[in-house]
Amino acid sequence: MIIPYTTDRRADTGVTNVTMGMWLFIASEVMLFGALFSAYALLSVSAIDWPSGRQTLSLPLGAVNTIVLIQVTAIAWHARRSTAIKARRWLMTASAFALAFLGLKSLEYVHEFSAGLRPATNTFLAMYFTLTGLHALHVIAGIAANVWAIAGAARVGEAMMAGRTRALALYWVFVDIVWLIIFGLMYLL
Amino acid sequence: MRIFSTDHKVIGLQYALTSLAFLLLGFLMILMIRWHLAWPTQAMPLIGALLGESRTSGGVLLPEFYLQLGAMHGTIMVFLAVVPLAVGAFGNYLVPLMIGAPDMAFPRLNALSYWLYFVAGLVMLAGFFLPGGAAASGWTSYPPLAVIATMGQTAWLVGMFVLVLSSMLNSINMIVTILQLRAPGMTLMRMPFFIWAMLVTSFLLLLAFPPLQAAAVLQLMDRLAGTSFFMPSGLVVSGQIAKSTGGGSPILWQHLFWFLGHPEVYVLILPALGIVAEVIANITRKPIWGYRAMVGAALFMGSMSFLVWAHHMFLTGMGPTMSGFFQITTMIISIPSVIIVTALVLSLSGGSIRFTVPGLFALGFLPMFGLGGLTGLPLGLAVTDIPLHDTYYVVGHFHYIVAPGTLFALFAGIYYWFPKVTGRKMNDLLGRLHFWGSLIGMNGIFLPMFIQGLAGMNRRLYDGGRTYEAFAGFDGSFRGQAWSAVFLGVVQLFFIVNLFWSLKKGARVGNNPWDATTLEWVATSPPAAHNFEGTPTVHRGPYDYSLPGAARDFTPQSER
Repeated sequence: MIIPYTTDRRADTGVTNVTMGMWLFIASEVMLFGALFSAYALLSVSAIDWPSGRQTLSLPLGAVNTIVLIQVTAIAWHARRSTAIKARRWLMTASAFALAFLGLKSLEYVHEFSAGLRPATNTFLAMYFTLTGLHALHVIAGIAANVWAIAGAARVGEAMMAGRTRALALYWVFVDIVWLIIFGLMYLL
Repeated sequence: MRIFSTDHKVIGLQYALTSLAFLLLGFLMILMIRWHLAWPTQAMPLIGALLGESRTSGGVLLPEFYLQLGAMHGTIMVFLAVVPLAVGAFGNYLVPLMIGAPDMAFPRLNALSYWLYFVAGLVMLAGFFLPGGAAASGWTSYPPLAVIATMGQTAWLVGMFVLVLSSMLNSINMIVTILQLRAPGMTLMRMPFFIWAMLVTSFLLLLAFPPLQAAAVLQLMDRLAGTSFFMPSGLVVSGQIAKSTGGGSPILWQHLFWFLGHPEVYVLILPALGIVAEVIANITRKPIWGYRAMVGAALFMGSMSFLVWAHHMFLTGMGPTMSGFFQITTMIISIPSVIIVTALVLSLSGGSIRFTVPGLFALGFLPMFGLGGLTGLPLGLAVTDIPLHDTYYVVGHFHYIVAPGTLFALFAGIYYWFPKVTGRKMNDLLGRLHFWGSLIGMNGIFLPMFIQGLAGMNRRLYDGGRTYEAFAGFDGSFRGQAWSAVFLGVVQLFFIVNLFWSLKKGARVGNNPWDATTLEWVATSPPAAHNFEGTPTVHRGPYDYSLPGAARDFTPQSER
């Protein structure tokens, strides 16, 4: 059976199924993180005192990690324009950077835990661990999706792989934007 | 038929069977509650002894178990029975057929979303076997009560997290299928109203459910990691100050919950309105009156439903400015529902109505849904909501929307599309008995609730308010409701027997037994593996019944 518009665009909507699906997924995720950011705003403005993230968290580690994650997106975005074989290589590189991000993040968690900073310490840290934890889950899911696309590249052919790479690139942009908001809210403010 | 199939028809049927099983389970739970409220001190016949020491004492439900039944009845009915039946079963089975597609856009994701739903349901039910039993803080799981509750609440939260994943995947699939896989000629304004309803419903599920997922994560953190997102400072639990850092906001949960909760109401209603529209066009043999207005109303209702949630929270004392805003939006959102129901009622006028079984359920839906909707208006205004909110009046109101409302529409859909799924018709007499019995039974249960509520009877009281002098004299109405519930249960046997009997012995019918116009009736009954031989082409709108000059009183969409 062939599902129409899996790889070619439908004239009246202008997109393929995969692209539309990814945009809808991102819309849903925006609501998920939007709810969490709203909760953050509400809890912080109604708190008697709210710790400063800049003094609690490690700004250098956070900044380096931000740069690492931007690399992931830049590479995934670059992969959109290449052939299936090359896209595979780019996605592998992107995944390596994403793993580096997770490594640095774990290092940061270890530091924080050894300094006695736990989710239960205060609501700022509770929000920090929840938001960065959920974000890390999205990075892990992104790596899994990358690996899945890499593994299937030879089997599904050029057109399908191009669609998958485009969708993955979109996803990484989203993961990046969420991180930038977290970075701004937690590390800089 | 493979269990792990990716065929939308198999997945639709899996959704149907699972959600019907949950529907029965949710009903059996409430049957126990109704029995207990009528005879709170007497041992429950038959099952009282089977439930065990942790749930009953001398055959009488323990308060803890009563609360579990109440919370799980609500959870099961809303999240595991009605929505999966309406969206998962009807949506998955019918949407590709009605738009002329070979399958859903992402068949494997479709299978994944069913299995996630299945797992989520099992996880929630597993709560009953944990120490302390299942979730017992109401289907809304308000903190701080839910945060300090027993382990069952954790199962509820994990189940909810998985369920939101399932519903997100399903709604992405549904929207992409509807927008991308329409057959040539199936323009948006030629789509049956049911498809429009599914489209709007899917957007609601896609965008409204994630905040509840976020809230579930936060509550899980509160329960497992000792955070205080929802725990206020200085909370006293069982005479001791709770061990939490404090500074959290219980109201925040309510906002996040009802941000989903209200669109969820339209998730419950819209598919029902869609099914009723299809059936009414078919039984009146004329086009739906005001199709364009209905589509517009559905779209308006969908977007507006994101702006009304806090009318569930007037009791929290959020202040007159907030209340004022949400009262205005609530009054506005009643308009599109009225437009759709009015259009459906006007569609009846001048039709030569065929009183088929699906027709009866669809016709029964209209006044019942109307009653549920109109009794909601006083709840949309803070002044009248505050005395009514914690009473049986609210229970009566939303049950009229969901039980003789949505469920009647879903039954109409089952009787209407059963011939398409199986190639056989369901038994007519059993169907009629099922309809009239359900109509009487449901009204017997829910009508007294308005009177009880107006008299001030609080909901959720374990003993039915017998410790309060003011609530004396309700014994009779509680017993009437209990017998109505038993009667309703007996009548459902007609449906269950009919369902299985007709599967094997029902009268064989052709592809289009109801002389209907929409695309699914062009496919064979049951439809072949990929639905249609070749891609159908659509030449006309969905409801071309009784066209002047046509040879028959219906002209299928695929006919030139």
